[in-house]
Amino acid sequence: MAGESDASNIATLLCARCEKPAHLQCPKCMDLKLPREAASFCTQECFKAAWSSHKSVHVKSLAVPGDENSDLISQGWLYCVKKGQARTAKLPHFDWTGPLKQYPISTKRFVPAEIEKPDWAIDGTPKIEPNSDLQHVFEIKTPEQIQRMRETCRIAREVLDAAARVIRPGVTTDEIDRVVHEATIARGGYPSPLNYYFFPKSCCTSVNEVICHGIPDARKLEDGDIVNVDVTVCYKGCHGDLNETYFVGNVDEASLQLVKCTYECLEKAIAIVKPGVRFREIGEIVNRHATMSGLSVVRSYCGHGIGDLFHCAPNIPHYARNKAVGVMKAGQTFTIEPMINAGSWRDRTWPDGWAAVTADGKRSAQFEHTLLVTETGVEVLTARLPSSPPVFPWMLK
Amino acid sequence: MADDEEPPMAVQIQSDFSFGKNLSVEESSDTVSVGVTVITGYLGAGKSTLVNYILNGKHGKKIAVILNEFGEEIGVERAMINEGEGGALVEEWVELANGCICCTVKHSLVQALEQLVQRKDRLDHILLETTGLANPAPLASILWLDDQLESEVKLDCIVTVVDAKNLRFQLNERRDSSSFPEAFNQIAFADTIIMNKVDLISQEESDELEKEIHSINSLASVIRSVRCQVDLSNILDCQAYDSTHVSRLESLLEANKSLTTTDLHDTGVRTLCISEPHPINLDKVRLWLEEILWDKKLDMDVYRCKAVLSIQNSDQMHILQAVKEIYEIVPARKWSEEESRTNKIVFIGHKLDEEALKTGLRDCRP
Repeated sequence: MAGESDASNIATLLCARCEKPAHLQCPKCMDLKLPREAASFCTQECFKAAWSSHKSVHVKSLAVPGDENSDLISQGWLYCVKKGQARTAKLPHFDWTGPLKQYPISTKRFVPAEIEKPDWAIDGTPKIEPNSDLQHVFEIKTPEQIQRMRETCRIAREVLDAAARVIRPGVTTDEIDRVVHEATIARGGYPSPLNYYFFPKSCCTSVNEVICHGIPDARKLEDGDIVNVDVTVCYKGCHGDLNETYFVGNVDEASLQLVKCTYECLEKAIAIVKPGVRFREIGEIVNRHATMSGLSVVRSYCGHGIGDLFHCAPNIPHYARNKAVGVMKAGQTFTIEPMINAGSWRDRTWPDGWAAVTADGKRSAQFEHTLLVTETGVEVLTARLPSSPPVFPWMLK
Repeated sequence: MADDEEPPMAVQIQSDFSFGKNLSVEESSDTVSVGVTVITGYLGAGKSTLVNYILNGKHGKKIAVILNEFGEEIGVERAMINEGEGGALVEEWVELANGCICCTVKHSLVQALEQLVQRKDRLDHILLETTGLANPAPLASILWLDDQLESEVKLDCIVTVVDAKNLRFQLNERRDSSSFPEAFNQIAFADTIIMNKVDLISQEESDELEKEIHSINSLASVIRSVRCQVDLSNILDCQAYDSTHVSRLESLLEANKSLTTTDLHDTGVRTLCISEPHPINLDKVRLWLEEILWDKKLDMDVYRCKAVLSIQNSDQMHILQAVKEIYEIVPARKWSEEESRTNKIVFIGHKLDEEALKTGLRDCRP
């Protein structure tokens, strides 16, 4: 089985010099883990002939980057590594899957003492959450909890809308993070991602091929980018979680369709939510709609229960044929947050330990809501408000 | 840079896994996953003997052994890897991400195993040795991944080593205790049970003990051994959780053998097999199973469940598997002309109510 697929895989590689089928590769590129496409050759002769120009790719990959960001680094901005637990002045080595790379991130933002903080705010380690029974038990919220969830989710929506209003070419994702951070604190909330397992910022900003968990950094948004902003607010002891993918300036048709389809995937998934429906059905709905549009569903990340805990049971995969346990019951609160890719569903993680990117470097979009199962169906706790900026063209009709 | 003046010899392109992984993003599901065998057993039963026997055996396989302190809060685990035939043992640390389990579908243990597979240029199998008191249920749930994830690791089977000399004592000591003995759990979850140290008891005692083991779990294969010298094909590449690999389940259809057991220990842990000749309705059987596995409506605790199902309006034999709450029903292959289509479900668990289960299955008829 493996032999067959290997053969078909290799057959697609062409000589970087003459485009005949390639059977050899540059050993130095192998050591450096450089892409095979530019390192494949039909014969030693072709490799030899290409050597003088080919060898420059080795040097490029070893070049100490940071030139373009040296000003920032001298001001204390650094590249995030080790899942947020360390910083470095040198761009980490990685075979970046697309045009994007890590950028330096700013220093930690301040949270006033009077803001009530979750247990990870100080030392980066959640203690209550991983040990809670609610990792296995599907909690039915009390009316009092539900009321708190409504409040928190509304604040989270207002915070996300504030972020949406500042998005345009030239704005850095760090600036979006500042807006989210300040809008959250202004409403008396704590930005849940901040220091959650050492996540260094107050929201996730995922640009283009970043699937999710992008760390806000010094990169300026460019005309034609798509950017997802994922906000979670902790207020009165509970969490509200939502995200949307925005257009920066004018985007191409393919990106527009990708974002629109992702939006529809979430809409269609929400439409089936009511008591008695299996959680595993969500993946069938999302997968069907994405596949019909020729897009793929990310499999490594899923929706989750939410409430007094940021993440708890149930686990809600967005892919088809999953074995998710349980049926929906009135009083449960959870997120649905499909991530849809233009190309392969496979993901990889950047050296910062957080940002999940598409393995093929093609774009990815996501939408998320926090939902409450009601007796008759669903209440979208993070629903758009009349004041929410009408940023999606398909909503204007 | 002088050595850059002349090109080196180009090397053959090969789909070396750890290398290709980073670079090729083809969509095909050609991932060859590495099997994971979980080894459980009481302290002193012979787990380490088994592991050493496997590591030092002349089988030409490269095997990593992970000493799992699962449940105890440490960030790293020790992995021993034999570097090929008769090669030296290499010790490695496997980092268990102190990870955000947030919205990821893979437990940090799975991620750690995947990283181990990626780091090694070739790994044929992983053995996960648990502590003596480990309950295999959480491990099995974590490792039984959705096929859709196309993970580089795959739960192969659960092997339990028991001490033939002491097992009866271990089973009996808790007979009156309300706390649940791990010895029962470990046997109930096993696909293969190695009855070790049989040289210390008589032939009759061995037969009797095997009967007792089968009274708890009649699906498991029991292997008698001295110093864990066993045929490795019983431990490696069993594919016990692979629904497409149904040969084991098809033996269920050999109707004559009774799998239902009586409870010898009054603990209520046993195997129960029920059947239904009429085709059943897929939706109904799902709802019925979910009541048992998810809602615990009948107050039964099902550890494992395996079945062959004959589904109404389908010419496909369906396979059911469950580990605690997690279950799947998938079509396996076409029924052949000669086969008599039937439903046969085996439950292993606690407080199984035979009458209720029989009635429930009968009600799944269309």
